[in-house]
Amino acid sequence: MPHNAKSSDNAGLNVAVLVSVGRHPLTARARRADQDARAVEMALTLSGAAVRLVHASVDDSDNEAALRSYLGMGIGEVNLIKQASGADVVPALVTSLRDMAPQLVLTGTRAETGEGSGLVPYLLSEALGWPVISGLAAVESIEQGVATVLQALPRGKRRRLRVRLPAIATVDSSAPAARQSAFGPARRGEFDTYACASVMDELQAKWQVQPARKRPKRLKIVKSSSARDRFKAAAAKAESGGGQLLSDVSPEQGAEAIFALLKEEGVLR
Amino acid sequence: MLDTLLPILFFSALALAAIGAVRRVRLWRQGRPSPVPLMQGLAAMPRRYLVDLHHVVARDKAMSNTHVATAGGFVLAALLAIVVHGFGLESTILAWALLAATTCMFVGSLFVAKRRRNPPPRLSKGPWMRLPKSLIAFSLGVFLVTLPTAGILPEDAGSWVLAVVLAAVVAWGLAELFFGMTWGGPMKHAFAGALHLAFHRRPERFSDKQGGEGRSTGLKALRLEDTSAKLGVEKPADFTWNQLLGFDACVQCGRCEAACPAFAAGQPLNPKKLIQDMVVGMAGGSDAHYAGSPYPGKPVGEHAGEPHGPIVARQGTALVDAETLWSCTTCRACVEECPMMIEHVDAIVDMRRFLTLEHGNTPNKGAEVLDNLIATDNPGGFDPGSRMHWAADLNLPLMADKQEAEVLLWLGDGVFDMRNQRTLRALVSVLRAAQVDFAVLGNEERDSGDVARRLGDEATFQSLAKRNIVTLEQYRFAHIVTCDPHSFHVLKNEYGELGGHYEVFHHSTYLNRLLENGKLSLKAWKGGTVTYHDPCYLGRYNGEYEAPRSVLKALGIEVEEMARSGYRSRCCGGGGGAPITDIPGKQRIPDMRMNDVRETGAELVAVGCPQCTAMLEGVVEPRAEIKDIAELVADALVVEVSTEKASRDDTAGRTRRTAEEVTL
Repeated sequence: MPHNAKSSDNAGLNVAVLVSVGRHPLTARARRADQDARAVEMALTLSGAAVRLVHASVDDSDNEAALRSYLGMGIGEVNLIKQASGADVVPALVTSLRDMAPQLVLTGTRAETGEGSGLVPYLLSEALGWPVISGLAAVESIEQGVATVLQALPRGKRRRLRVRLPAIATVDSSAPAARQSAFGPARRGEFDTYACASVMDELQAKWQVQPARKRPKRLKIVKSSSARDRFKAAAAKAESGGGQLLSDVSPEQGAEAIFALLKEEGVLR
Repeated sequence: MLDTLLPILFFSALALAAIGAVRRVRLWRQGRPSPVPLMQGLAAMPRRYLVDLHHVVARDKAMSNTHVATAGGFVLAALLAIVVHGFGLESTILAWALLAATTCMFVGSLFVAKRRRNPPPRLSKGPWMRLPKSLIAFSLGVFLVTLPTAGILPEDAGSWVLAVVLAAVVAWGLAELFFGMTWGGPMKHAFAGALHLAFHRRPERFSDKQGGEGRSTGLKALRLEDTSAKLGVEKPADFTWNQLLGFDACVQCGRCEAACPAFAAGQPLNPKKLIQDMVVGMAGGSDAHYAGSPYPGKPVGEHAGEPHGPIVARQGTALVDAETLWSCTTCRACVEECPMMIEHVDAIVDMRRFLTLEHGNTPNKGAEVLDNLIATDNPGGFDPGSRMHWAADLNLPLMADKQEAEVLLWLGDGVFDMRNQRTLRALVSVLRAAQVDFAVLGNEERDSGDVARRLGDEATFQSLAKRNIVTLEQYRFAHIVTCDPHSFHVLKNEYGELGGHYEVFHHSTYLNRLLENGKLSLKAWKGGTVTYHDPCYLGRYNGEYEAPRSVLKALGIEVEEMARSGYRSRCCGGGGGAPITDIPGKQRIPDMRMNDVRETGAELVAVGCPQCTAMLEGVVEPRAEIKDIAELVADALVVEVSTEKASRDDTAGRTRRTAEEVTL
């Protein structure tokens, strides 16, 4: 973490971190979600800030160990918002975030289980009217209700942003890795259960869910003579040789362009 | 005049010693409770002292004789002197006996003094340098004051000046040997050591009259049921009282320091200093008075602690730095060498448990490895479904298919390591050649939990162990064979406390049995000179020094022994999670071990452990070649074609049919 974030005293700063139950990519075992854990880590490094963990879901008795591993990072309790099965967590989160009134809400970019659409922070931002920052890499300072943060861009680039609080920020894998979760504090930590009216996610109830297939990867043919060229080819991001930038076009034109591209790529036949 | 002075001196010294003893006992009682049979322990103490302790001391013959003369002479002299001079019993016979005892002690003291003239660096200096003088003062003083009682000199020989001088000399001796024994002088080792032997935390490590060797090396399980309890040792007072007593017994001989691979590599660990730090913490204060070698790279005097203060600080310094605890390879060389039977490794793991389970502070790759063990049941984070990929062509019989087999072959996490796969292949071919009925657990096998436990993560160890025990319960087998001494040790000695009792063999032991039963025929060895490296977890932990050597002998190999072999074997640096926590030093432990190999001139090192193989092969060339015993045996196999074919058909028959079903 940048040292100025540590040195500045964030006394009175209220940070809420939205945490979810993760899933190990190989064994599918429940665990703390990687990006959410990084969000907790970032909150914990803001010295003096009061950190609350918020988790909204149906009965999680199977996933208790996974939620407890957030507690093992050195936090006393998780605020658990109980929801009925099949509920949409966004309205419940909106209500409880309004009650808690945190200045900063941190969360992972997308969940490892469930829908995993990555839309929750945007829906919250819309409902609460707070700005949202994606890909937070560091919080540099917070002064008089304005946070100076670093946003991670592709290929290691960083952009410094100033944002008025309260705000929602998502954390991805470019943020510092989460600290080790200790077994003792994890099992001593507590769940503070809140009841909150459940709003059914009717749309999702109609969906048919099936395991995702791994998408085939496009082969990159590298014709090169020297090691330097091969290295460059391996390290370079995909060249965007083709393509076009469309701006100020009508939805129909946009859709047509996308349709044409999908045909060209052979996705649609 | 001496007749009145001496009883006063003796009884005041004894009274002060008694007060000191009470104070010392109260220091130990700060520790956690640990029930021990008190009277039984006290009754067993003389045997433990005379047999087990002296077995260790006698490894240094000169020192052993010196100690017998000095300590034996002292104990006898002290008892007689209390009778003769304390109670003033005028007995010529006792006086003569006292003269003999003090003479014996005096001679011993001279040898102690001789050793202290040019002491080896492992010995502590400071107050220990005055000990020979005090011993001489006591023996000489008591000898001289006894001369009149024995009738050699007249009662009133010499003037009152001489009497006062003699009384002063005796007082000096008494101060060191009676009073100093319980007030923290060098002689404390005798008082604390005797009680430590009586109330040892591992009474089963002592030999018994029936010829039992006495070995207790498995770590003690941490009770995880109580959810509010603190896990591991945070403060000196969190050790059990008999552990604190054990620390106090340290005689600072530094044999542990001389044997410690981490100390030799310049990593910040010195077992002797660690034990002394625990004594400092128990009594409260700073380590400034410590007079031995420091932790490499850490000057003495910067650390301090108290019984109820933290041992390792989250920030800054306390009693010990975390990297000191993480330098240990748990090779047990210190415990093996310790004449006071102190359990260094237990203490280190106890403190590591707190750092991992309560602080969440396992250094370097520690956290990642533990996370992998939790999520994938192996330290490398590999897909547990790919455990048997290495043996895709071997048609290994699975326990799930067979349900019972004579031998359960425990493969270990080496299945993910390409080097160890070669060893496993060799072992499988040998077992097949000997027509052993064996099966493997395949994907049902998990990490044994060894590395999690040594890294202090008792929770993950117990989780892995309990699940492995449930898996093993499903099948019937006579014994488990493994080529990994770490799995071997854990399955054999540490699963018992959790309910798993098995007969476990290291593959070298099992191969030796096969050879003894004539199940294998081997070609004669044609290679160059060979040396053998004893893995810590096979040798010191389980006392198996012979079987690997007799397998090598059966191969026709004359083992060129290293200077440090057998129970003194130097660790490869791969145990206790040391390659994971990776604390920097001045040199690497495997490099030092390879230098030991180089000194023998051997072209090949025979090993019996995947960790040792990896560590030693990591040493840069030119160096000796490294081969597992299983590989050496496999290379020398003489396979009769017919039996080979028969065994292949026999073992692979069923599996082959199922394989066909699958491919259709």
